[in-house]
Amino acid sequence: MKDRTLFAICPDAEFFGRTREIGDVLARASAERRAPNVFLAGKRWTGKTEVLRRIHRELFWSHSRVVPVYYQFKGPLDPEAFAEDYLKEFIKQYLAFRKREPDLVRNETSLERLERILFDEDAFGLLDFTLIHREAKRSNDKTAVLRNALGAIELMTRRTGTPVYLMLDDIGESLRPSGHPGPSIERELAESLNSGSFPFIAASSTRAFLEGGLLGSVERMSLDGLDADTSVAMMAELCRSRNIAFDTEILSLAAMKLGGNPMYMKSMVWAALKGGRDLKDLKSFVELYSDEVFEGNIAFALKSSLKLKGPSELRMLYALIGAGGARADDRAVSGEDLRERFRLSEDEFSKAASSLAAEGLAEFALGSVKWAGDSTTADFVSYMFETRIKGRGADEFRTSFTREALKEGFIARGARVRGRLKEDAGAALRSFNGQKLMKILFRNQAFSLTSRNGGWKPGERKDSEDLALPEIIGSFDSSRWEKGETGPAIIIAHGFANGRYDAGNEVVWMTAVKDSPSPVNIGDVENFLRRGQILKENFRTTRIVRWFVGRDGFTAEAQKRLEGEGVHTSDSVQLNLIRESLEDASASERLKRDDKILPMKEFEVVLPSSTKAELVAVKAVEEIGTEMGFGDNAIGQIKAALVEACINAFEHSKVKAGKVFLRFVAGGDRLTIHVQNGGVDFDSPAAASGASAETDLPRKRGWGFELMKGLMDEVRLERINGGARIVLVKYLIKKGETGGSEA
Amino acid sequence: MAVRHKHRETGTSVVVYADNYINDIEGEKLEEMCDAFLEKGFKKIVIDFSGTDLVNSIGVSILIGIIEKIKGKGAVVFSGLKDVNFQIFHIVGLTRHIRVYDNEEDALKESASCDGVSL
Repeated sequence: MKDRTLFAICPDAEFFGRTREIGDVLARASAERRAPNVFLAGKRWTGKTEVLRRIHRELFWSHSRVVPVYYQFKGPLDPEAFAEDYLKEFIKQYLAFRKREPDLVRNETSLERLERILFDEDAFGLLDFTLIHREAKRSNDKTAVLRNALGAIELMTRRTGTPVYLMLDDIGESLRPSGHPGPSIERELAESLNSGSFPFIAASSTRAFLEGGLLGSVERMSLDGLDADTSVAMMAELCRSRNIAFDTEILSLAAMKLGGNPMYMKSMVWAALKGGRDLKDLKSFVELYSDEVFEGNIAFALKSSLKLKGPSELRMLYALIGAGGARADDRAVSGEDLRERFRLSEDEFSKAASSLAAEGLAEFALGSVKWAGDSTTADFVSYMFETRIKGRGADEFRTSFTREALKEGFIARGARVRGRLKEDAGAALRSFNGQKLMKILFRNQAFSLTSRNGGWKPGERKDSEDLALPEIIGSFDSSRWEKGETGPAIIIAHGFANGRYDAGNEVVWMTAVKDSPSPVNIGDVENFLRRGQILKENFRTTRIVRWFVGRDGFTAEAQKRLEGEGVHTSDSVQLNLIRESLEDASASERLKRDDKILPMKEFEVVLPSSTKAELVAVKAVEEIGTEMGFGDNAIGQIKAALVEACINAFEHSKVKAGKVFLRFVAGGDRLTIHVQNGGVDFDSPAAASGASAETDLPRKRGWGFELMKGLMDEVRLERINGGARIVLVKYLIKKGETGGSEA
Repeated sequence: MAVRHKHRETGTSVVVYADNYINDIEGEKLEEMCDAFLEKGFKKIVIDFSGTDLVNSIGVSILIGIIEKIKGKGAVVFSGLKDVNFQIFHIVGLTRHIRVYDNEEDALKESASCDGVSL
């Protein structure tokens, strides 16, 4: 097979996800009409270089009309040295593309040799640039040297009419002060990029280039860690191919702890292989993690890339982490606080903060600094600080770290499928737009009673009345107002009632969320009521609505107290119904029309890759469907559609012998099934087009999606980070039907 | 559950009983059986699905292949289809090309009276 390698990339079997990002950039690069340029932002080692190099490879081999040029910044360089390197890369890659000669890209070539090749090839247009380069160098005109190199793409595009797509990797490196005299690389580079004469993508793990206003109009594309499923699929495949025993749940925990960072995940697997260890239980993972992050390959990589200039930077980083840096709701620390704490002058502080920002470890704006690194880097920094500055022994720190990580791991394991309730409640609040929902969805006691009694007859109870929701205009959490307060943050949502934007109709919804596997108890309630009373002082409006959402419901005592206080109460089942009703107005109507509200239940099934594994899913859905009250024919339809979705998921799993993850959501009026693999994509519905003529027999393949669509009420293909998910929906009462439930 | 691919021969017709789940493996077995009966000189093949709960799209593609193969050499009809399986064959358009009977007896009777129905 032909060797298609250009710049070094990892083997295809070890590259996961990023299909959407690569596809998006390829479409922009090869579009007839100019699309906006892209700034690819992502933390260290999330795969930006891999993405750019794969785009380069694809453009080189598969798109004949665009010349791909990839350049990676290599740290502080003298402007002249940078210009020569940049020019050489451009000429090499341009020539390689024209001659279809990948060796020119792969091999290091001196400027002299390149000139000989250009001369032999009669490539005088490109040769011009090297001659000007030499001339400008001879006259010691560094600005001319830089402008010649940076202007080469624009000139070649004008001369030949062939477009060039420029990919700049680690552009943040160009901001590092080189200490060399001469023109500023970043200013000249920015000028060249902003000329608009050629399209480009620039990648960086810091936002400094972007925030410095150096890039004009660009679209930001984020490259976060791989999503949980893709991460698990990747680690499972790496473990399998190296015969390392693993447990999927531990891999899932590892993926979460490592933030889906491909480099960290690969390092962990490699360390397990090297040490003859496994990833079968929490303890083995935590031990492996602490070895890797404090002393192993990850530590080595972090040590060499962080480039901390002294103890004050390490101290400052530690302070940022301590301010909640490793958490999602990280907070900025004011420069004044930091200066005072570490006795730094204005200038020293500014230098240290700018240097941390250049490393992608902090965000520095308006005089305050915020942690911007990942959780693994935070652990490494803590280790460095504790052992180097505070003088703790390495073993002492590792013992305490292991102890805490094991505890944290157990909590995380218990809450693995949870953690979304606050987001869901926030999303529900944000979608309040003056709708009317049944009051029972906000009254847990009545809802629980109804569910226990097997149903609820409309009109029987006053709870069938509607609750008019306000129009929410924005929301945030209370953490800034409640420093030092215990308990989870309260969501504060501001809005207007009755569709009128005046002071009389202003309203604030204060929402507490308990997302742990135990019911809301009286302690939680008292905490919420007390904090609510204090928070109330912050609002001008007198209309405050309080809402408590608890994953596992409420104790009787808590329910009674909340009801007495007039606080709305919902559990996760009610919240799901609220969200569905808000998303789809007809769902709300169906709920009212239905003769009973069934509690919502969720089941998860993981299918291994084995013969007839889809029949396990069929068995599960048969049980669930029967319990929900679906008729035999509907159950047959769901089974057949589910088989198709499973086959499709197995076929397109990126991982050989990969698993398929199923989630069944048995709602009040419908069964929703999510089918997901760790793969690149499913067969698209469009692939099943092109039916044969009427007289011919039907085509043989590609019926999966059409069968699913024909058998289910709704079929959606949802693109998710790193793959796709099929969602199948079957209604107990079909949408738009006035009756005739099969049940 | 149906007995795995048993069959019943009556004159120049043969009834083949399909398995509970028609996927690639079971589909290929059916195909092999049909090939063998054609080889032996049977003119009509009734595939009875009364014991079949599920047919997947790969099974469907093999059935289309069987029909294609028999075309011109004999006739094939289906019987005993459960509602969902009929619906599947309808979605892919097979019901426009093949006769479907409630049970194998009707299929045998009809196929006896419609000798030479080619597909």
